[in-house]
Amino acid sequence: MAKMLFLPLFILLLCSFECESFSAENPTDRRLLVLVDDLAIRSSHSLFFKFLESRGYVVEFRLADDPKLALQRYGHYLYDGLVIFSPSVQRFGGSLDQAAVLDFVDAGHDLILAADSYASDLIRGIASECGDPDAVVIDHVGYAVSEIDGEHTLIAADDFIQSDVILGEKKIEAPVLFRGIGHSVNPASTLVLKVLSASPSAYSASPKTKLSTPSITGSTIALVSVVQARNNARMLISGSLDLFSNRFLRSGVLKAGSLNKHEKSGNEQFVTEISKWVFHERGHLKAVNVTHHRVAELAEPAMYRINDDLEYSIEIYEWSGSSWKPYVADDVQVQFYMMSPYVLKSLSTDLKGLYFTSFKVPDVYGVFQFKVEYQRLGFTSLSLSKQIPVRPFRHNEYERFIPAAFPYYGASFSTMAGFFIFTIVYLYNK
Amino acid sequence: MAKSTSSDVLTLIRSLRSAYAATPTNLKIIDLYVVFAIATAVIQVVYMGIVGSFPFNSFLSGVLSCVGTAVLAVCLRIQVNKENKEFKDLPPERAFADFVLCNLVLHLVIMNFLG
Repeated sequence: MAKMLFLPLFILLLCSFECESFSAENPTDRRLLVLVDDLAIRSSHSLFFKFLESRGYVVEFRLADDPKLALQRYGHYLYDGLVIFSPSVQRFGGSLDQAAVLDFVDAGHDLILAADSYASDLIRGIASECGDPDAVVIDHVGYAVSEIDGEHTLIAADDFIQSDVILGEKKIEAPVLFRGIGHSVNPASTLVLKVLSASPSAYSASPKTKLSTPSITGSTIALVSVVQARNNARMLISGSLDLFSNRFLRSGVLKAGSLNKHEKSGNEQFVTEISKWVFHERGHLKAVNVTHHRVAELAEPAMYRINDDLEYSIEIYEWSGSSWKPYVADDVQVQFYMMSPYVLKSLSTDLKGLYFTSFKVPDVYGVFQFKVEYQRLGFTSLSLSKQIPVRPFRHNEYERFIPAAFPYYGASFSTMAGFFIFTIVYLYNK
Repeated sequence: MAKSTSSDVLTLIRSLRSAYAATPTNLKIIDLYVVFAIATAVIQVVYMGIVGSFPFNSFLSGVLSCVGTAVLAVCLRIQVNKENKEFKDLPPERAFADFVLCNLVLHLVIMNFLG
């Protein structure tokens, strides 16, 4: 009887492990939940979703107000990534709310959030730093030429972030078509980056009303920005849902004032590359095999002595979407740290992922740490520390006899001999 | 004036030597021993001035063994001097035994501190 009970339990356990495709070893998201206002988005944005499916993602579409909506069951998340393409939803259905979305990100999962000119308070709350309601980005200089847009709200943006890891190595030639709201980015935050900024002539205002002073203007307007949280969860916030649409992906673009008409806008390349980044196909680093030992020894000691020569090595790999590839850079540094870094060394690499260096332990004893703090634009941050005590010389580790001290030894022994002779002479001088 | 000063010095030294000639032999031996110890100490201090104070513990033990020896020898001299009325009750054998014991302790410490 117990056996029969045990079997289904075992199968259930097995299933739950099988579903757990997202892991530290395999950081690409696999199961995506797409929340939409209207299932029409599924067809109007089908190129984007087809592209995701072709790369092996399992995409599940749900209406944002579906009453059975849930991100987790029995404490396990059902999805690895969330795509919110429902700018107008006032409240999510089921157990989902703003806090649940933020918890999802706190648990290390990724999020793509697209707002639009009619974004609801809920969506604004998640993005939390959006501009005015019903204001859109207007650019009378950098607009895309089209017959129907007299208000210049269709923008041809080409002010990309300079980062190969976020936008891919191939430069995006054509401008990206954008229609929607701009947002401002807290300049004090180091976690958030503007990926696509508006041109200096843009401003955020409602085209319907008389223009007062716009709240944000120029290149401080972020059209698309990304956030990489401290737990390496990634978020993409776009002020435009149309950016991902088939219409924008397919259409040609002629930027006003430019003679160069592009047959195809940069949107396809842009959304492809940025979604690769957001879903951890690029720029995800891991550090393994941290080793350190004395020069000419192999075993890792539990403790170093002051002035020991040691060798330190670490392996760093980058996830390429399907396998771990060696990460190559020349700016990885290790610190030998006790309250402040006593040693700061750049690591050399063998181009196969191994980083190594050697240095002398400082002439200070105490509890030190080997620290690697590696934060680069677009890459997940590496923060490793390993504690190691450093002891002073033991009393028997000094030199037994010091040549410079021979006169002192001689003086001590001659005084002793003198005492002996004095004793004899003193006693027998009668 | 200068002539009288130099003659004074000569007179002083001469009287000192004649007075010292009357000192018993055993006290003279002790004086010689003290001079030997002080001279060794001075040599070491000069050496330290030239070479530097690196094995400082060795330097200290070398110099202190000489200084300690000299101090103990002077103490012995005070105790065995017949003209010193303070220790007239103390037999010279007892004084010598004290001297030997103190020297043993001193050299034990010096050996440990020498490095």
